[in-house]
Amino acid sequence: MPGSVLTKTLRDQRRALLGWVIGITAVGILYAAFYPVINVPGTADFMESFPPGIMEAMGFADFMSPAGYLGSTTYGLLGPVLVVVMAAWAGGAAIAGEEESGRLDLTLAHPVSRWSVLVQRFLVLVVQMLVVMAVLTGALLLISGPAELGDIGAANMVAASLHLAGLGIVFGALGLAAGAVTGRRSVAYATVAIVGVATFFANNLGPSVDWLAWTRDISPFHYYSGGTPLANGIQPLDLLVLGLASVVLVVLGGLVFDRRDIAV
Amino acid sequence: MTDVIRTEALVKRYGRRRGLDGLDLAVSPGEIYGFLGPNGAGKTTTIRILLDLIRPTSGSAAILGEAPRRGGTPLRRRLGYLPGDFTALGGQSARELLRHLGALRGGVPDARIEALADRLDLDLGTRLRSLSKGNRQKVGVVQAFMHQPELLILDEPTSGLDPIIQQRFLELVREARDAGQTVFMSSHVLSEVQQCADRVGIVRDGRMVAVEDVAALRARSVRRVEIAFDEPVPADAFAAVPGLADVRVDGARLRATLTGRADPLVKAAARYGVETLTMDEPDLEELFLVHYGREADDAR
Repeated sequence: MPGSVLTKTLRDQRRALLGWVIGITAVGILYAAFYPVINVPGTADFMESFPPGIMEAMGFADFMSPAGYLGSTTYGLLGPVLVVVMAAWAGGAAIAGEEESGRLDLTLAHPVSRWSVLVQRFLVLVVQMLVVMAVLTGALLLISGPAELGDIGAANMVAASLHLAGLGIVFGALGLAAGAVTGRRSVAYATVAIVGVATFFANNLGPSVDWLAWTRDISPFHYYSGGTPLANGIQPLDLLVLGLASVVLVVLGGLVFDRRDIAV
Repeated sequence: MTDVIRTEALVKRYGRRRGLDGLDLAVSPGEIYGFLGPNGAGKTTTIRILLDLIRPTSGSAAILGEAPRRGGTPLRRRLGYLPGDFTALGGQSARELLRHLGALRGGVPDARIEALADRLDLDLGTRLRSLSKGNRQKVGVVQAFMHQPELLILDEPTSGLDPIIQQRFLELVREARDAGQTVFMSSHVLSEVQQCADRVGIVRDGRMVAVEDVAALRARSVRRVEIAFDEPVPADAFAAVPGLADVRVDGARLRATLTGRADPLVKAAARYGVETLTMDEPDLEELFLVHYGREADDAR
């Protein structure tokens, strides 16, 4: 039956997914709920006392407007970090985790092609990212009144979450590809971690160093937050870049995966 | 008729280590083929090549007339496979896993799963993680047999099964053959396969060292015989019985060894009153080891 691997994997991983949903939503809400505390006279002066370089490096922008605050916190630092960590987990589990546990043998001995398994596992990751983001967005919308974040508007909140899902999907595809090529979960995790940290700083720091300026253009974080979806809504081109990059990564991983030996 | 499994000069290297070193294998339609060899001889490597999980370094392999890789998904639809290390973990029940694996094959009736589980004494409602090794192996057996494939490839199928379940498993294997299915099963102990295998191939260091017809082997094999008669019998009454040797008569008791058919001995003994007649199951293992040692030396 087409899609069996997809539905079965979603079912098998439903507890882990629940964990990610709770964790990411809780962190997002806690951050957001702090806005009324920050949004008092004096904070602006305090924030301005930091050197602009540091502010940029950490991804902090304007802290005072609702969109600026949420864009610097939930959607600025911890949100993306958690989403990339989740992506490492999901990408690593997709092929490498299954292979290391010895279960991939059984699946592939059935009438299902390696490409089909790979693509279905990628779709699992896409669904999981969208679920986490849907719950996070719903929760943020629920508390946006009391948290004085109502100015942002539902559409922009959804836009920001969609971009964050796109970011997670790219890194998930990277982890999946690394795991599909090597069959090792540790390699998948390490690849996502290294590329994640490097491209995070490339996006935030690149512009302040002349000869590194070009690195921003290859950073997924640039296509995630460069267009400030929280203030400007969905940036279709940026989402398209994230989507295409994901597909390219999955295809590259698949080309090797289809040819290599499956580890015992 | 074309072979169901055929490999020619199959070689698989893992880096510098040799997994297979020119393995030739031919399995005929409708037979039970025992693939025998010590651990590390290349049994699992061969099986994983047949399933297209790994690709050979050189040589050719074909199952049901097609190369494993070219045959792809449609070819694997016609196979049943039991991995050597059947790992299926997690909080799902055995039934849930079997339904999923059945769905990958386009659906298997629940009744069929239930019937197999019943015969193996497997409780389908149990969560996989709380199953013992033997019970997990039963899940593996069920998933290999449930869709009645043309060819069953079973890697060490009896490992972990207790003796009663082993017998029921061998019944399933025989029934599969009687239904026209071909069974290819690996083992490192002959006694596990000699009861049902039609032919046995011995692999060592990645090469086939001997292929034997089990019935022929049995015919050549030597059994110990012991007959208790109602009254003392003369020893020379048994001197001319073909195949009988080492005859010792001790009053009403005869001990001897027998090669080949038992019929002449039975007829000779029938002239007297027979109290009991015992005959050992031939120790094929021993016979094989002798053979096997010689072939392996030749190959060197």
